[in-house]
Amino acid sequence: MPNVALEELKSSFLSLDMEATLRVANTVIRGDDKATVKEAVDVVAQSLEIVGKRFQAGEWYLAELVYAGEIAKEAMNILSPLMQTGSSQSLGTIVIGTVAGDLHDLGKNIVVSYARSAGFRVVDLGVDVLAQRFIGAVKEHKPVALGMSCLLTSTERELAGVIEELKSQKLRDRVKVIIGGAALSEKVAYDVSADAFAPDAITGIDIMKKWSASA
Amino acid sequence: MNFKERILTAMNHEEPDQVPVMGLIMDTATVNHILGKKPVDFVGMLQKPVVGTQIKSLLNTNRFWKRMYYDNFAGALGSAIKLGFDANWTICTLMRLNRDSQASLGWSWYDPYGRVWDLGRDAEGNLAVNYSRPLCDTEEKWEAWVAKRASLFETMIKNTASFHKKLVENYGAHIYSIGYAAPGIFENSWQPIGFVNFTRFIYQKPEFVKRVIAFQTDLYIRNLDAVMQSGVEVVLGGDDLGQKTGPMVRPDVVEKLYGESYRRVSDFVHQKKRKFVFHSCGNIYALLDKFVEWGFDGIITMEPTAGMDLGRVREQVGHKLVLIGNLDVSYLMVSGTQQEVEDAVKKAIGDAARGGGYILSTSHSHPLVDPTRMQWMVEAAHKYGRYPIGN
Ligand code: B1M
Repeated sequence: MPNVALEELKSSFLSLDMEATLRVANTVIRGDDKATVKEAVDVVAQSLEIVGKRFQAGEWYLAELVYAGEIAKEAMNILSPLMQTGSSQSLGTIVIGTVAGDLHDLGKNIVVSYARSAGFRVVDLGVDVLAQRFIGAVKEHKPVALGMSCLLTSTERELAGVIEELKSQKLRDRVKVIIGGAALSEKVAYDVSADAFAPDAITGIDIMKKWSASA
Repeated sequence: MNFKERILTAMNHEEPDQVPVMGLIMDTATVNHILGKKPVDFVGMLQKPVVGTQIKSLLNTNRFWKRMYYDNFAGALGSAIKLGFDANWTICTLMRLNRDSQASLGWSWYDPYGRVWDLGRDAEGNLAVNYSRPLCDTEEKWEAWVAKRASLFETMIKNTASFHKKLVENYGAHIYSIGYAAPGIFENSWQPIGFVNFTRFIYQKPEFVKRVIAFQTDLYIRNLDAVMQSGVEVVLGGDDLGQKTGPMVRPDVVEKLYGESYRRVSDFVHQKKRKFVFHSCGNIYALLDKFVEWGFDGIITMEPTAGMDLGRVREQVGHKLVLIGNLDVSYLMVSGTQQEVEDAVKKAIGDAARGGGYILSTSHSHPLVDPTRMQWMVEAAHKYGRYPIGN
């Protein structure tokens, strides 16, 4: 039989009712219900995935995607003492940032928030990130994936620059590279020798999950 | 027909002698290329200890700021004239320079609304200025900020009026200088607060959000009024309501929060017997019918990288909106061949120009939009844009 608290957690989350979602999360934490913390964490992660699919299908909009990310973050704060790793197991580390010269950050921040909730440890380098900082972070954190956000044609060459530098420092085989952002496409990914292009955050996370599973 | 008659005829959904061409020139790199000027290493100067402080006091003097900003757009209009455009957009803003430990260069600007603008260099060393973060992430901070900036808002309005008047006085005989009241109500409400915070407030503090929007609407109408004092019959306004795949906010929520504001804007412009053209980046198909409902006269941009197709837009809105756009600035206008530019111009004209109501332009500006490609665009418009347009 489905657990009432978990059902309520899911439905309040999907109605974007933060107050109700957090109330149920607290019930679970206090042990007032039979549901375990792990089950509640998984429900939040599954609900977030549903939100992502609705966004991909054009049924939901950016503001809803962002707010759902915020609800998940707060719910995980309550549910998971390990926080940042939303799902009950860690999928490994990803390093992400917006390339040098580009200050657009809404998209990157959404990827960060959803990746954390999906179970990745995320090293967020922020915006206007120079190639050297990407390389340094790859060396230091040994991530499953390096994600670069780039919305401007004028900064596309930064993508190639970072990938070239990875090659010259013999790091290219050790990390997968994924790119996303307004001015990009599959073709740009091919041109700069990235491993993947993500048209949206959810596709990006799906791709990185596959990489994590086969790592 | 001269450039003004051409634009106004198109704005009336009638066929001019030829399709008008509008420039969106504003970036310093573009202006320098066209006018043969060298970049000034402003950022380098600012980083010298004593000179930096002197520059700060100079720039924060309204007279100097106005002069610098005016010169930039005078350069943009001069460039647009040189390339043979019928019109170009012009934008007036006000910022103050500040030392800022969070900014990579140790300096940033803030504007009267409560945004921080980062200071940087473009690829050629020109000064580049870009919105980077909000200053008012709570209700209390926002209230305190706007209360303290009353006199800065007044300065901004005064500057705007004199800026556009002066540009029209000095360049109006050669080009149609279309003033753009920017940023718009949506951006002025979310950017000083931050998108994530603003989204939270939509759900959690709807009364606060309403107050912010009402405040920004009143201010925006005053700003538009200032732009319109130049006497030009068309005025631009706008907000980036879209992103790559669709509107940022659900259309019925946009209607609920901003519908009345946008209607007020259109009514105000129409009372003054002007036309209102709205700029929005991103994928905005889902909002086109709203634009008609809100009383906009036209739209400018229609970003191809976000899937906007001129023919499809014309099909959806017919001649209820004038369309201004939309040559791609991610490849075509940066490194496309002359043949590709010509083909794109032909296609745009074929898709949208019959019956008037169409002005050709790029879909945005950025420092890599290439003057030679703009020149090709103008030439192709003259070659293929003569009315009547064939099939
Ligand atoms: C794992 O790795 C991954 C995986 C997936 C990844 C990923 C990384 N990164 C992104 N994704 C993907 O997942 C995200 C979520 O689904 C998605 O991220 P997005 O970032 O695409 O989506 C966000 C959630 C929402 N989308 C956005 O936030 C971008 C929306 C649009 C309208 C946009 C905005 C809002 C802004 N802008 Co800018 N802006 C435009 C944009 C139009 C568009 N089509 O997107 C674009 C990007 N801007 C453009 C321009 C030109 C500029 N902008 C500028 C400034 C700004 C604002 C400051 C006003 C603001 C940014 C605010 C901010 N803090 O981010 C300037 C540059 C500033 C700079 N140096 O960075 C300026 C140069 C304008 C000027 N002349 O000054 C255009 C670029 C054109 C080009 N081909 O180069 C543009 C496409 C608009 C247009 N009409 O053409 C996916 O792409």
